[in-house]
Amino acid sequence: MKYGIRVAAVDDIPKGEGISIDRSVTGTDDDIALLRDDDGCVWALNNTCTHAEASLAEGWVEDGYVECPLHSSKFCLKTGAVQGLPATRDAVAHRVELRDGDVYLFPRQGS
Amino acid sequence: MVASVVVVGGGIAGVSTVGALRDGGFQGDLTLIDAGEFPYDRPPLSKDYLAGSTEIKDIALQTPQWYDDNRVRMVTEKTVAALRPGVGAVELGDGTTVSADRVVLAMGGRACRPPIPGSDSTRVHVLRTADDADRLGATLVPGARLLIVGAGLIGAEVASTAGGLGCEVVLADPVWPPLSAAFSSDVAAWLHGMHEKRGVTTVNSAVKAFKDAAGGISATFAGDSEAQSFDAALLAVGMAAETALAEAAGLRVDRGIVVDARQVTSNPAVLAVGDAATRGAAGLSVNRSEHWEAARHDGQRAAAAILGIAPPADTAPWFWTDRHGVHVEVVGALSNTDQYWQRGSVGEPPFSVFAVRDGLVVGAVSVGDSTAVRAARRLIDRGIPVDPAQLIDPTTDLRKLVRGRPTEGMK
Repeated sequence: MKYGIRVAAVDDIPKGEGISIDRSVTGTDDDIALLRDDDGCVWALNNTCTHAEASLAEGWVEDGYVECPLHSSKFCLKTGAVQGLPATRDAVAHRVELRDGDVYLFPRQGS
Repeated sequence: MVASVVVVGGGIAGVSTVGALRDGGFQGDLTLIDAGEFPYDRPPLSKDYLAGSTEIKDIALQTPQWYDDNRVRMVTEKTVAALRPGVGAVELGDGTTVSADRVVLAMGGRACRPPIPGSDSTRVHVLRTADDADRLGATLVPGARLLIVGAGLIGAEVASTAGGLGCEVVLADPVWPPLSAAFSSDVAAWLHGMHEKRGVTTVNSAVKAFKDAAGGISATFAGDSEAQSFDAALLAVGMAAETALAEAAGLRVDRGIVVDARQVTSNPAVLAVGDAATRGAAGLSVNRSEHWEAARHDGQRAAAAILGIAPPADTAPWFWTDRHGVHVEVVGALSNTDQYWQRGSVGEPPFSVFAVRDGLVVGAVSVGDSTAVRAARRLIDRGIPVDPAQLIDPTTDLRKLVRGRPTEGMK
């Protein structure tokens, strides 16, 4: 996938928030959360928290991390690395590119 | 330099302690002693685990690989018989000793069994461990009559779980509404009222006696003469800190193991974390915060103390609870003010209530509104003054109050 999938306009995602892109669009097993940090950067993680049934797109995005809306485990936006219990498994991170105000997603397959 | 640490107790406090020690660069010997087969998470014991929809291995706090990767020597299915701080060791129940420069006590507590006559019956349960949950869960068959004594967080969660399994549940508490200090009175009343709407019978009374009866247990409520019969009963009336080892070792104990702000007990070689620890100050005993995240933070502070590094920043206390399909979160304290501001309507989730004092948020409770509580926590931690009118205005983006920015375009 050379060019990625155009999944949103950057302006669709307020800073400090996220939106969820349906798996029917991404072709992945899980929906993918696009998460926009305070600095404006956009990152992509599998949307379902690795601990319980919660949507990371509804989490609190700040300082390079997203905090799960249910039990507050934090995941690194860039790598998906889990930073705190109760989750113990890292979230799957996907590559994104911003081009001309649009977000292009390069979903990691098999994840 | 500290070359070896033994952590006694594999709950969230103990596991957080070993994790924070390694994260902080501790290179020495690290041992975790636990009475169970492996450390597991306790919040599911009144919810999914009790309902039988998740298994013990699914609620392990960490994978076996994690303990290997972090070079944590696991001593499981073993109990500690005595602390020997004088010689830098703990003595196990089987007589062997494990040497340690520092011991961290993370043994939590036991569920209280108040002296109600007849409560020593095998049909009168408590809920603290997975074994307790297994025993209680075995009684929760459809149609079974369950009496829950105490409508606090655990009692309410079990009422919800048991009701969902088709049990006939009676939930008794002499206080009405329960948990009003924790939730604020309006929210507490609404949450307690959910029980009846979901088919749980609430009784505003205490139980004065139990008696084994043919195939069941009978209970008599205060003020009643007639006993009612049940298949099982649960005492959900709080916990008592596990302090026996600490007392035997001469540590200062005052309803909990007394620790300073760094989790160090009256013996500098021994620290205590989690439900068993209480932060005393100048002879005052401070109430324990018997919540999951508080225990985790205790572990992080203890690790910092052992490593001689700065502790993590303090943050307002936070907990969650789930009942009858709603997710409730509380941050800060809702009992130290008389100024409450509602965002949304109490009783129509999502909603939240903010407690405000002197222009600052001091607490918040939310039902189904995660962002409100996460914003409130940051408003409290950062001491950001607020205009309550903005808090309750549904068009206010609470994230922007935290960031100290006026509502702006999505640029």
